Amino acid sequence: MSIPKEVIDWNILNEIISMDEDDPDFSRMLIMQYIDQAQTTFDKMQNELETTKDLSALNSLGHFLKGSSATLGLQRIAWICEKIQNLGKKQSNEVIPAIDGSNDKVYLEMISKALDQARVEFKLARKELSDYYKTEL
Amino acid sequence: MLGSKANLDTKFSALKTAKTVVTGTTLDSNSHPNSNEIKTDTDNELSMLNSTINSNNSGNTNSNINSNSNNNSNSSNSNSKPQSNEFVRKIYGILERGDYPDIVRWTENGDSFVVLDTGSFTSQILPNHFKHSNFASFVRQLNKYDFHKVKRTQEERKACQYGELSWEFNHPLFKRNQEANLDNIKRKAATQKKVLVDEKSLLLNKADGTQALENESAMNLILNNTVNSESFTQLKKKVEKLHKEIDSYKKENDNYKIELEKLNNKYYTVLESLLTFKTVNDNLIGNFNTLCQILTSQGIDLPQSIQYSSPQKDLKLLTTESSTQSLVNAQDSTSQSTPDNVRNVQAPTNVPIPDVIGGSADINSKNDDIGDVDSNELKKGFHVLLVEDDDVSIQLCSKFLRKYGCTVQVVTDGLAAISILEKFRFDLVLMDIVMPNLDGATATSIIRNFDNRTPIIAMTGSIEHQDLITYLQHGMNDILAKPFTRKDLYSILIRYLKDRVPISDQKNQLQQEQTFDNVRRSPEVHEDSQQQNIPVMMNDGPPLKKTRL
Repeated sequence: MSIPKEVIDWNILNEIISMDEDDPDFSRMLIMQYIDQAQTTFDKMQNELETTKDLSALNSLGHFLKGSSATLGLQRIAWICEKIQNLGKKQSNEVIPAIDGSNDKVYLEMISKALDQARVEFKLARKELSDYYKTEL
Repeated sequence: MLGSKANLDTKFSALKTAKTVVTGTTLDSNSHPNSNEIKTDTDNELSMLNSTINSNNSGNTNSNINSNSNNNSNSSNSNSKPQSNEFVRKIYGILERGDYPDIVRWTENGDSFVVLDTGSFTSQILPNHFKHSNFASFVRQLNKYDFHKVKRTQEERKACQYGELSWEFNHPLFKRNQEANLDNIKRKAATQKKVLVDEKSLLLNKADGTQALENESAMNLILNNTVNSESFTQLKKKVEKLHKEIDSYKKENDNYKIELEKLNNKYYTVLESLLTFKTVNDNLIGNFNTLCQILTSQGIDLPQSIQYSSPQKDLKLLTTESSTQSLVNAQDSTSQSTPDNVRNVQAPTNVPIPDVIGGSADINSKNDDIGDVDSNELKKGFHVLLVEDDDVSIQLCSKFLRKYGCTVQVVTDGLAAISILEKFRFDLVLMDIVMPNLDGATATSIIRNFDNRTPIIAMTGSIEHQDLITYLQHGMNDILAKPFTRKDLYSILIRYLKDRVPISDQKNQLQQEQTFDNVRRSPEVHEDSQQQNIPVMMNDGPPLKKTRL
């Protein structure tokens, strides 16, 4: 499975936006909340990578952000989060440079790369959302 | 002197006829359960007693009671006629005659002997010459005569000319063609008895007068170290009994293991067929409802009780499964837009979502393909527990739920879910799987200990077949795959709450509900019948399942 083409699955997001009918600003508040949550999660991941280096914690964080990203239709971020989640479980389709599968370092490095990629995707999504709401999110 | 000897002999024979077992050290070493060995050892001890007597009688030929003792041995000890080391002589005889060169023979230089084939030795020689068939016991007896097994290292054993599995024994005095030496090969006495023998011979040399007394005390010593035959047999029986018991338990245990495995296999098979069945059943119900709707829309009045079909109807549909299945597929291809939803085959998802804002009056006009969907409308006021740790999901999901007229209570982990369900009742529980503190599946299995009625739906991203089975095993009713759309959520609500009356409204609706129940499943009406019926769609299933399984 390769990364989805579109940053945002508008089928999903539109459904949420449609809820604004009886509750103006509902979707925007939800997205604001997500942005907050994503940034916190990215920071937590960064912290794990630098200090405790706990793969299972990274797995949980990946799972967590994957859920909320997917809920809002932010499919590319969700995709990368799933990748982080799998790397936290020491699963990867990519060829592991070192044969030594028990070496956490390899996975930590791969997660670190994935995290950078996630931040980029996050910026893209944020921009697209800001454009939609015509306000800086 | 002669009298005292006779005294000792009488005591000995009394001892022997009473089959008294000399134990002392022996009993300890023979908590070993093999009764054969015990028996052999008993024999050994008896023969040792013999030798004790012999040494009293004849072993002191040089002492001043020489003649007496000789007389004694001739007159009273016909059974001690064979030499005290008859065992050793037997082996010597076998070796000298070369009776079994392939099984046991002298080594080349003749200062030790070797058992080449312990198997044949045990099965042929031991029964014929030693009246038992226990090689270990033979070795032990050899050791008692101070024979020793010649130890070999692994390499030596491999290189051994008598074969890797041969047993070589030697004794400094036991050599080929040296029969005279045999007299000096004596049984080692256990330390206690050794003292006894020594004392005795000493006494014999000393004073005749005290002999009787000393013999008496020696006898007492022996008696003190013995166990009478009664308790011995008792013990033996006990040991045998225990052995039998252990064996039977082992057998039982094995049987249980096999049965458990079988049951497990069956369980999984049943579970899988249940899953398959559930899908089929849901399809059928959906089709049936569609059929009813079409009939209604064409102006045919259907009694309300027929709406969700009696078991007979379901069965009828079941027989035409193939045709209805294709119908479902056709509908799916036209109406499904969420391919990642596990339940997208379900008929209820075919029903357009009623627009709550517009009110229920709008529904009919919005349904082009299905006429009257009155039966699919959800009553308002269902109390739903949302167990979820992600704020975004919480907000969205509760928003959806409220839109469908539900009231929502949120907790953020499995533990909180358990404690709130202990106190309050809900019409439905939506449960995330991966959560801090306690995961949803485990929480459900705990909740199921005290609440079997409330439908619990797993909300999860992992919808592998194995996961589905796990969730069902934990007592969850259904799966709502994440991320889900409004439609997906609605179809779940329909499936479990359609035609249900919210718990909060039940008091008002009691009468009506019971009438319903009487029509559908009269035997199950009792005090809390409404609560029993919370998942209406589920309750339509069982009669069918029973017939099927």
